[in-house]
Parts: sequence; structure tokens; C-alpha cells
Amino acid sequence: MNEFVVTINERKYSVKIDLSGVVVLGGRKLSADLTPIANNSYVLRLGDKVFEITANKINQEKYGIIIDADYFEATVRTQLKETASELQNKKAKAFHHSEVKAPMPGLLLKLRVKEGDEIKMGESIMILEAMKMENELRSPSSGVVTKINFKEGQSVEKDSVILTIE
Amino acid sequence: MIKKILIANRGEIAHRIIKACRESGIISAAIYSDADKNALHVRRADEAYLIGESPASESYLNKEKIISLAKKIGADAIHPGYGFLSENSQFIKMVEESGIIFIGPSSKSVEMMGEKTSARRLMKRNNVPIVPGTTEPLNNSAEGKKYALEIGYPVMLKAAAGGGGKGMRKVDSPDQFDESFERARNESLKAFGSDAVYIEKFIEHPKHIEVQILGDKFGNYIHMFERECSVQRRHQKVIEEAPSISVDPVTREKITSAAIEAARACQYYNAGTIEFLMDKNKNFYFLEMNTRLQVEHPVTEMITGIDLVKQQIRIAEGEKLLLNQSDLSIHGHAIECRVYAEDVDNNFSPSTGKIIHHRLTSGPGIRIDRGIDVQSEVPVFYDPMLSKVIAWGINRDEAMSRMKRALGEYQISGVITNIPVFNWIMKQKTFLDGTFDINFLDNEFIPLLPGKWKEDSNREYEEIAAVVGALLKMNEMKIKLSENFTGSNNRWREQSYE
Repeated sequence: MNEFVVTINERKYSVKIDLSGVVVLGGRKLSADLTPIANNSYVLRLGDKVFEITANKINQEKYGIIIDADYFEATVRTQLKETASELQNKKAKAFHHSEVKAPMPGLLLKLRVKEGDEIKMGESIMILEAMKMENELRSPSSGVVTKINFKEGQSVEKDSVILTIE
Repeated sequence: MIKKILIANRGEIAHRIIKACRESGIISAAIYSDADKNALHVRRADEAYLIGESPASESYLNKEKIISLAKKIGADAIHPGYGFLSENSQFIKMVEESGIIFIGPSSKSVEMMGEKTSARRLMKRNNVPIVPGTTEPLNNSAEGKKYALEIGYPVMLKAAAGGGGKGMRKVDSPDQFDESFERARNESLKAFGSDAVYIEKFIEHPKHIEVQILGDKFGNYIHMFERECSVQRRHQKVIEEAPSISVDPVTREKITSAAIEAARACQYYNAGTIEFLMDKNKNFYFLEMNTRLQVEHPVTEMITGIDLVKQQIRIAEGEKLLLNQSDLSIHGHAIECRVYAEDVDNNFSPSTGKIIHHRLTSGPGIRIDRGIDVQSEVPVFYDPMLSKVIAWGINRDEAMSRMKRALGEYQISGVITNIPVFNWIMKQKTFLDGTFDINFLDNEFIPLLPGKWKEDSNREYEEIAAVVGALLKMNEMKIKLSENFTGSNNRWREQSYE
């Protein structure tokens, strides 16, 4: 019996699967079969029901799953991993800091803060030009700007850390 | 008679024009950049020519290269599609001077409508209602503030050369004016090469209603009713419909007549669209004219049965309109969803990459106009629109239920798309009852970013997704196990869960 904890939209689902393909979900037992049809395309049989699924792997534990135009990001961990990750989360919270990453590649047009500035969550901190539009980026948290890695006029790649707030 | 058309565009619209060429027995010549070598529009054309490197400025925007190629290959006409050079009066003039037919209006009409302040003056003279504000560009911020006080806040600053939401800023109060003015000017300069900005009264809760017209070179005009395009984000349309649920027969009569007056005022020929803002009391104001084929033209085709691209070609050939206004009527209802490769929860950033799975939807009332196929690359250089799903039904309810069904069947993977957003929109009360206006997404959707809007998704499906996730993970673990602990003669190796 394999036990998984699947987290979607911050809700946790416990899914048990035995070797014969019977799924236990919230106390219900259902036969399950997931057959690949093409790249990233599957048919799921669950009890008497049939579903067309598009799914892709996002990272080590995360899948993007589409059912009937509804999109879900599912974080899947074994029961053991889930317990470990919960512990780790508690630790990380004690050393809270957030990084402001570029949500898209672009040109850093204007920086409204400098190192040492105290800022509030939601405050405008920079303007990033991308796709010919000026995009205002706001602070994801309150705190002090401890490090700025770029200057105005520089290009930034997607996901590069522009500044750190502690 | 036109025998060969060079299509100065890419993606779904190039593909759409190729279809009209093929149906009309006209040779279609596609152009492509390095990045588009094997793009769908290239494969579907009769002839294809490399035009330049991937950046649009080196390829799809290179006027000289496109015109000299058209001459070299003996094309009688150039169809510009939308975007790129379609509304570039300088390009149109060059085409006119080269003796090649431009499938669109004259450079003169485009010039008259292209500069927004002169268009506003022209409309005013011809009794087409315009939004209160200036009909000349502002000289400086101080002058702008003076006008803003006169017409009353909030006001809009708009690029005189503009369109598509670029160089456009709403100003709520005098203290924001200077900064907004600077930013509107900067954006305008970058996007259009001109920093001329004018001011308009901000219309509260307006709908975006536009009218499709056709005009021939003999001064005959017809309209093909209105489209409702109020579902927008940053002035980019997301969902379009025809007809509008908010336009009654009396308003329809008025707004379509105004549209024809607008077209006549600039001696327009070919297909064109007049955009209006309509307030709660069904007063409408001229916004701008799009002097080209629109992205959303299929919804009009679906309710009228008229092929707009073929009409464009006929008009360009110098034929008279064969259609009379009395031949046209609204049949049913059509909706279009623009499918973009974008990561909605990540600030709508474009999602580029390779399409690894693409299964089209079809069936009653469904049409797809697309620029992609399996294995297509979605390059960083161009607009990330992948395809348009268009649904027709005998009424709005049926069109909508067909759209929902079709989006559920449509599978794309390899890039992240905005398909789930349509699913969300079609569940919202304001969208369903028709009371939505152009602020609908800003007010109701944007506050739910990132992620929260998905909580509204179907709970049954969420449970199913959990099972799928667990099954995918288990299969992966099995594959790993077998690789680690058993020999090569292992049956799990035959399975691949990419």
C-alpha cells in the first residue's frame, strides 16, 4: 500500500493506492486506472467514471493537471515526505525573509527603494518594462530592503532575484 | 483579378488568410522569420519565403524587404493581417506606390484615423459622438491639469498615436497627474515613436462595443452589427461576443449608423471596425477606428455567415459590394476566447516553449483559428496568442455551453495557457447576466491573483486531480525502483510517463 498526501489549493487529500490499483480516498474504495494516450495526455478510469486528463510534471513533487478546462497544481508527497516537509516549513518560518523575483524577463526601468529602506507589503517598489508595457511591482512583504542586485536600466531574466527583504 | 497574395503576417491570422486564398483559388505566399521556419502558417501556404531574423523588426516589420519580395515573386496583392504593418500608413503608401494592391484601406484613411486627436476632430465634424476631452495633443502637464479640472476627474491620458492600451493612463486626482503624464508619454514614445498625449473624460463603467463595417471603393457601406468586447485586461480583449447582450434594437440602429458615418468621414474602403464606449444609459462615444481586420472577426462571421477575408479581397480587387444591408441579419450568438500562452498566476508572464501535446476540439458550432500545432515552438519574439476558440449557438446560452464543452475537450501542453480563466469567467454572475463592463476582470478577477481564483474550481475535479497526482507519482516511483533494482529485462521500462 502506497500512501500519498496531495495538496491542491491548500487543501490536503490523503490518497492510498494498493498494488492491484484500488484507490482509497476519504474512506471510499475505488478501482483506478491511468493510461497514457499521448504525450501528457491520459485517460483515467475511476470506478465507473471516465475522465480525460492532461498532466505535466512541474518539478520533483508538483504536477499541473487539467480536467475539463479546470487546472490544478498538485503537490504530491509520500506520507513520510509530507511529515518531513512540514517540519522543515516550521523551521523556515523562524527565519523569515522574502526575495523579490522578476516575474518576467524585462528591463528594470525604475527602482523606488534603496538598501536599508523600510517598506510595507503592497508598496510599489519598482517598474519593470516587458512586452512594451510598464509593469509596477509591489512588495510581497513588509520589512527592510537588505540587498539590491540590479541597477536601473539593467535587463533582468525571469526569476532572477532583484532584491531581498528581511 | 488577384492571383497571388503575399501574407505579411504570421500565426493564426496568416493561417486564416491562407484558408480564404485556397478557397478562392488564389496562390498564398507566406513569409517567415528564422524562428518560424516550420510554423503552421508556413506549412499551410502554397509558397513560403524567409524574410529575416527572428526579431519582428528584422522580419515581419521590415517594409522594404516585404515589398521587394512581393515584386520579385509576382504577388499582385499584400494582405497585412492585424498588428505588425497593418495600420502603418507609411507602409501602405509604399505598397500603393509599388503598384501592388494593399488588401485594406488607403494610406490616407489610415492616416486620418491613426492619429487619435485628428480622428477625434474628424468625428466631431461628422456628428459622431466622441468622449469629452481635447482634440489636440497636450503641450505639457500643467495644461493637462487645467483641462482635467474642466472636465472633471477621473480622466484618461492617451497616446495620440496609440492603441492597444499602450501609453494609456487613468488619473484619479491632480496629485497623480504629473507622474502619469510622464509615464504615458514615455510608453507612447517607446511604443509608437511619438510622445503626443491627449486627455479624455473617464467614462464610468463603460462597455466596449464595436461595429464591423465593410465599404467598397465606390462609397457603398454596410455594417455587420456589433461585437461586445468588454472582457479585457489592460485594454487587451480576452473574450468577444456577437451580438452584445446589452445592445437593444434602437441602440443598434443608432450605433451602426454612427459607425457608417465614421467610415464615410475618412473615405474608408475594405473591412474596418469602429470602437465605441457605451455607458449605462446606452450613450455611446467614438473611441477609435481599427483600419484592418480584427482578431475577433470570426464572431461576426459566425452570426452573419459572411467570410470577411474574402470580402476584403473582393473589395481590394475593385469589385462593388454585392451585399445589401437588407441581406444581413443576426443569426444566433457567437463567443470567442483568445487562448494565450501565459502564466496567469505569475503576473500573466508569457509562457514560451514547445507545444508537446495539442488536441483540437470540434463538434457542433465550434471553430478554431490557430497558429500552432504539435511540436510548434512558441517563440519569445511575438505575441503569445496560440489560438482562438469560437463557439456558435442559436442563443447566448447555447453558445456558452458549447464553449464550455469545447474548452474542456481542448488539450494543450508544453506551455501554460489561460484556458482555465475562461472557465472561471463563464461561471461569474456579472458575465452571465450581461452586466459586466470593461472593469470586470480588474474588479473581479485580478484581486484573486495569484491562485485564489482556482479555489472556485470544481471540487469533484479537485479530488480527481488528487488521485491523478498520486497515480503519476506512484508510477514514477515504480519506474525508478525498477531501474535501480532489476535487470534490463523489465516490463516497467516499456512504460514512459513523460
